[in-house]
Amino acid sequence: MATFLNTLLQNIISGPATDPFPFGETFSPKRVRGLIRIDRDLCLGCGMCRHVCAAGAINIQRNSLGWTITIWQDSCCLCRSCVTYCPMHAMSIDPNWHSAHVEEDKYKRIEQHTISYQPCARCGTPMRVMSLERAKELYAADPDIDPEEIRHLCRSCRQIRDAEQSTVCMLRSDISTAPAAEKS
Amino acid sequence: MAIEQKAGSTFNIPLGPVHVALEEPVYFDLQVEGEIIRGTTLHSGHVHRGMENLAQHRNLIMNQTLTERVCSLCSNSHAFTYAMVVENALGIKVPERAHYLRTLTEEIKRVASHLFTLAIQAHLCGFESLFMHTMEIREIMQDVKESLYGNRMNLAFNCIGGTKFDLDQECFDFLEQSLEKFMPQFREVLDIFETDPLICARIQGTGILPKEEAIRLGVVGPVARGSGLNIDVRKETPYAAYGKVDFDIVTRDGCDLYARTCVRLHEVLESVKIIKQVIRDIPEGETRVHMTHIFPSQAVARSEAPRGEVIYYIRTNSTEIPERLKWRVPSYMNWEALGVMLRNAKVADAALITNTIDPCVSCTER
Repeated sequence: MATFLNTLLQNIISGPATDPFPFGETFSPKRVRGLIRIDRDLCLGCGMCRHVCAAGAINIQRNSLGWTITIWQDSCCLCRSCVTYCPMHAMSIDPNWHSAHVEEDKYKRIEQHTISYQPCARCGTPMRVMSLERAKELYAADPDIDPEEIRHLCRSCRQIRDAEQSTVCMLRSDISTAPAAEKS
Repeated sequence: MAIEQKAGSTFNIPLGPVHVALEEPVYFDLQVEGEIIRGTTLHSGHVHRGMENLAQHRNLIMNQTLTERVCSLCSNSHAFTYAMVVENALGIKVPERAHYLRTLTEEIKRVASHLFTLAIQAHLCGFESLFMHTMEIREIMQDVKESLYGNRMNLAFNCIGGTKFDLDQECFDFLEQSLEKFMPQFREVLDIFETDPLICARIQGTGILPKEEAIRLGVVGPVARGSGLNIDVRKETPYAAYGKVDFDIVTRDGCDLYARTCVRLHEVLESVKIIKQVIRDIPEGETRVHMTHIFPSQAVARSEAPRGEVIYYIRTNSTEIPERLKWRVPSYMNWEALGVMLRNAKVADAALITNTIDPCVSCTER
C-alpha cells in the first residue's frame, strides 16, 4: 500500500501526464500516418494501388485523354499497401494527422489528380511519359539506352528501341509489337 | 434486482452481452445459488462479421489488411501469422532483417497488450488509480508504435515476403530511450500488482483452473502458463527470429488469477529482453522479397499471440484470391475454461474472471 501511496505522491508532484492539446503542443511523431498523397509527376496510372487497396479508397477513371486518380481520405485505412506496392514510388504518407472535419466535408476530403497522355515521340500514340529518375533507375544496367529518349516512347516503341540499341539482341516470339489495347 | 435466497434453489442471472469485462459483447447465463455461481452457459455471436468469407473474396494482399482487423490488441499477430502462412504456401523466403523486425513488432505489441489487460484487471478490482497509472505506462509503448510504425493499433507493418518498410537507426534510438523510461515505471507497477494487499486479497485463490482441467480443455497462452503448463509456440516451433534470441517461458503453478497476473507481468520483462536483443543483433539488408507467382498449395502457420497460440490455414488456387482462409484464435480455446473458473465463484467476481483469459471476442467470432 505504501508503495502505491508513494506512486500517487509522485504523480501529484509531476502534474498531468496528458498533453495540453489543443491549447498547446502535443506529441507528433515524424512517421505518423496522416494522409496518403500522390505525386502526379510519377504516377503512371497502372492501377496497382487500386488493386491492393483493401478499403476501396482508390479509384482510377480512364478516358482517351488520360486518367483521374482519386483517393477518398475518409475511406483510407492507412494500411500503407499502396505506398509499398506502387512500382513508381508515387504514393507517400503525409504526417499531417489533423483529420477532424465537419460532416458536410466528408466527400470533399479527397486527393485527386487528372493526368493527361502525351503523344509517343515515335508513333504518336497517346501515352504517359515516365519520370526521368525512374527511367534512369530501370535502365541503369543498360548503358546503351538513353533514359531521356526512352521515357518518351510508348511500350511498343520502347521494346523496338530497346532491341535496336542493345548489344545483346534476343529474338523472342512472345513479344508483341502491336500497340497494347488500353485497359479500362 | 432482489434475489430471494432459499436453500437449494438456483436462479439464472444474465450477464452481458455488453461490457462484461472489456468493451466486447459476450453473453453469460449464470446459474447461481445465492451468491455462488453453480453453472455457466456462454452465448456468442454478437460480433460475427463473416471475415472468413470476406477473405475468400479478396486478393492475398488485401487480406493482409483484412486479417489485421480481426482483433485490435493482437492485430499484429494476425497480420504476421497470415503473412507467414502465405509465405509457407508459396515457398517465399523472407530476408533475415525482416524476421528480426517482425519479432520486434510482435514483442512491442505484446507489452502493450499485456499492460492493457493488467490495467483492466485493476479497474475491475476497483483500483482506478492503478488502472490510470498502468495505462499511462502503456502509453510509452503506444508512443513507440506511433513513432516507429505511424499507427497506434493496426501497425500495418507486415506484408507477404517481409515488412512494408524498414526502421532506421533513429527509430531504434527512440525505442531504446523509451525502454529506459519504461522499465523503472514498469518495475514499480509490477511490485504493486504482485504485493499490494488490496489486489492480492481480491485475486488470490479466485478463478481456479487446475492443471488437469487446463490440459483437458487445451487452453493456451498465459492461461495455460498460469496453470503450470510449459507451452509457448515461440519455443516449441521457433518462427521469425525467436530461435535466435534468448528468453524464458514464464510459468506459475498457482492456477488462479494471481498466477496469471504474474505470468503476464513477467512476460512483459521477457518481451523487453527480446526487444533489447533484437536492437543489438539485427542484421542489415533487404526487408522484403516479392511474391512472384501463385500456385495451388496449402499451408499452416502458427504463432504465439499475447493471448496464446494463433493458427492460420490457407488453401490457394491459381488465382490471387485464396480458396480458403481459416484461423483459430487463442480465446476460442480459453473461453471454455471460463466454465471451470466461474464454477463456485462469487457473482461479483464474474467480470474479473472473464477478464483473466484476456478475452478477444471479436477474434473468436470474426
